[in-house]
Amino acid sequence: MARVSLKNIAGKKNEVNAAILALINQLEEPTWIEDENGNPIAGKRHETSTSSYPVNLDNEIIGYVKGDAHAGTIANLLTHLVQKEAEKKKLGTEVLNLYQELNVIYNFSEQLTRTIEPDKIAQLTLEQAVHSIPSHSGAIVLWNEETKQLTIPSRSGETLFNEDRLRNNPGLLLKIGLSGQSEIMNDISQLKEKGIIEKDVQSLIYAAMKVKHRIMGAIILVGKDVEQYSAAHLKLLVTLALQSSTAIESAMLYEKNIREAREREEAMLRIHEVTKKFVPNEFIRSLGKETLTDVKLGDQVEKIVTVLFTDIRDFTSLSEKMTPEENFYFVSSFNARLGPIIRSNNGFINQYLGDSIMAIFPDDPVDALNAAINMQKEIHELNEERKKNHLHPIKAGIGMHTGSLIMGITGDEHRMDACTISDTVNTAARIESLTKYYRSPLLLSEHTLQYLNEENNFHFRHLGNVRLKGKNNLLNIIECINGFDDIQFEKKMQTLSLFNKAMNAYRDQQFETALQGFQTIHSGDPDDLTTIYFLDKTKKYLREGVPKNWSGAEEMMSK
Amino acid sequence: MERKILIVDDEAHIRMLIEQTLEELEDEDVEFLTAENGEIALDIIQKENPKLVFLDVMMPKMNGMEVCRRVKKELGLEDVFIVLLTAKGQELDRQRGQEVGADVYMTKPFDPEVLLKKAKEVLGIE
Repeated sequence: MARVSLKNIAGKKNEVNAAILALINQLEEPTWIEDENGNPIAGKRHETSTSSYPVNLDNEIIGYVKGDAHAGTIANLLTHLVQKEAEKKKLGTEVLNLYQELNVIYNFSEQLTRTIEPDKIAQLTLEQAVHSIPSHSGAIVLWNEETKQLTIPSRSGETLFNEDRLRNNPGLLLKIGLSGQSEIMNDISQLKEKGIIEKDVQSLIYAAMKVKHRIMGAIILVGKDVEQYSAAHLKLLVTLALQSSTAIESAMLYEKNIREAREREEAMLRIHEVTKKFVPNEFIRSLGKETLTDVKLGDQVEKIVTVLFTDIRDFTSLSEKMTPEENFYFVSSFNARLGPIIRSNNGFINQYLGDSIMAIFPDDPVDALNAAINMQKEIHELNEERKKNHLHPIKAGIGMHTGSLIMGITGDEHRMDACTISDTVNTAARIESLTKYYRSPLLLSEHTLQYLNEENNFHFRHLGNVRLKGKNNLLNIIECINGFDDIQFEKKMQTLSLFNKAMNAYRDQQFETALQGFQTIHSGDPDDLTTIYFLDKTKKYLREGVPKNWSGAEEMMSK
Repeated sequence: MERKILIVDDEAHIRMLIEQTLEELEDEDVEFLTAENGEIALDIIQKENPKLVFLDVMMPKMNGMEVCRRVKKELGLEDVFIVLLTAKGQELDRQRGQEVGADVYMTKPFDPEVLLKKAKEVLGIE
């Protein structure tokens, strides 16, 4: 604080100066004012003074008024004015100190909001503390609840602390850091004895860092001067400590959240890696999502797709001859052969259901048909191998249907299932089971045929209408013969038009014509099981007549 | 040469704080003048010709921006160094401060050290 000077009060051009000068001028005796060193301040100096009257401030002479007895009155007046001025300055200084403190806290808060690293916050706090509360050294100690250890994230100034001893002396911290107290420590001799602080330290101040009732640690400052710290310092340090504690706590929570979020993300990634084997990416992408983790309950998409079902014929009797292990191995290797064919034809497997597969071809029914034909060829190859090993050949039926399908996620929050909801799936499954009925390996619905480009290399036999159980509409069933082995395929190609003619006759109840046709085909290709099926039917109707309201459609009484 | 600093703020404690901050300049024969509103400030500026003015922006009657604009643009007193003061969180567009011709722009609570340094710099002390 700048001293109050007589010069500033009475020696400058201001109201006081003007009044004093006016007063002096009215006196008969020469009167003037000097500072404590005899330098003139106001009035004309005269060599023949009689008296000298001091102007006092806190019992200290800061100047004189010289002249006769009247000068004494002026000196008293000035003493009074100086006193008032000094009081004003003192008050002003205190307010300014408070304001400075406010500014420090304000700036500190602002800095804290820009920092999210706990250690950086600690460093910032200590820098601010040492700056605002002049100290020779400082440290922040934090108690790590998890490791039950003290850490010193930040230190500043001279090496007046022995960090190892500080860290390894939780007793001290129980006193300082974990007491939740803040104080100017009067007796620091113990700390010196234990070698925690250097011998030349004279003063120590500390403030607890705490959030609510949890004590996190402390800010400790030391100085080499005796009584270096005041109550105002302690108050400021406590404020800094509290602000810093909250910021560190938030930063730690933030770090924890980030860490947990990262762990969750990694976990989700692992789940995703696992689940994509079960829930194909194509399925997820068809929902317009990138990964499984983006998929929400209730997400769904509707699309025209071709659904393909394949099923191992007589699997039950086949599996009875195998141990569970062999069974598993058999199904796995069977699926492992067919899976790639589906995928390479732009399809994806929606479900493995034991010995059957449900696959979806979202783009073009041609993909489904190509896949089915290749799957059949794969089965032929598999059977060649089985033959060498004296195993029974495997027969599989494939059925497909094209229509709209809703693909989506069902279940609840805890378990989400990729699901397909649609009559299309149902119909495709029924068509697959018709392969047993018609004894044909590959059947499709008229709907699939309808979506096919007319210029294709597929060859079809029309098997007439069926009415599926529980359905009103008739469904035209078509067999694709491209999947037969070369010999069988050739034979069927030769009789293709005859077969279709016989089928037309059959539908029109011209059973004699139909019989002729089917018999011709049968004699040339006795292994054609579908022809045998219709031949038997024709014979039956010839023998027994057709039922009432016979439409030519097969009525399916079972699923 | 006598040097004058004018402190303009409608809040008495801010005037006092600034005066207190600049206290040591008293010994350098710097004279402090104060004004509690823009109109008085304008009057003092014309009569006393201060070298430096600390001017609060948010004031009743005539705000600091307007005082600054008149001093710099209308009265042509471009040598008067004007420091505009505004509360943090109410920062005005710096560009607006420049437009009215302010030399420096500071926010309250100001850092006393910065304020004193600026005053010394403008007055050519030390």
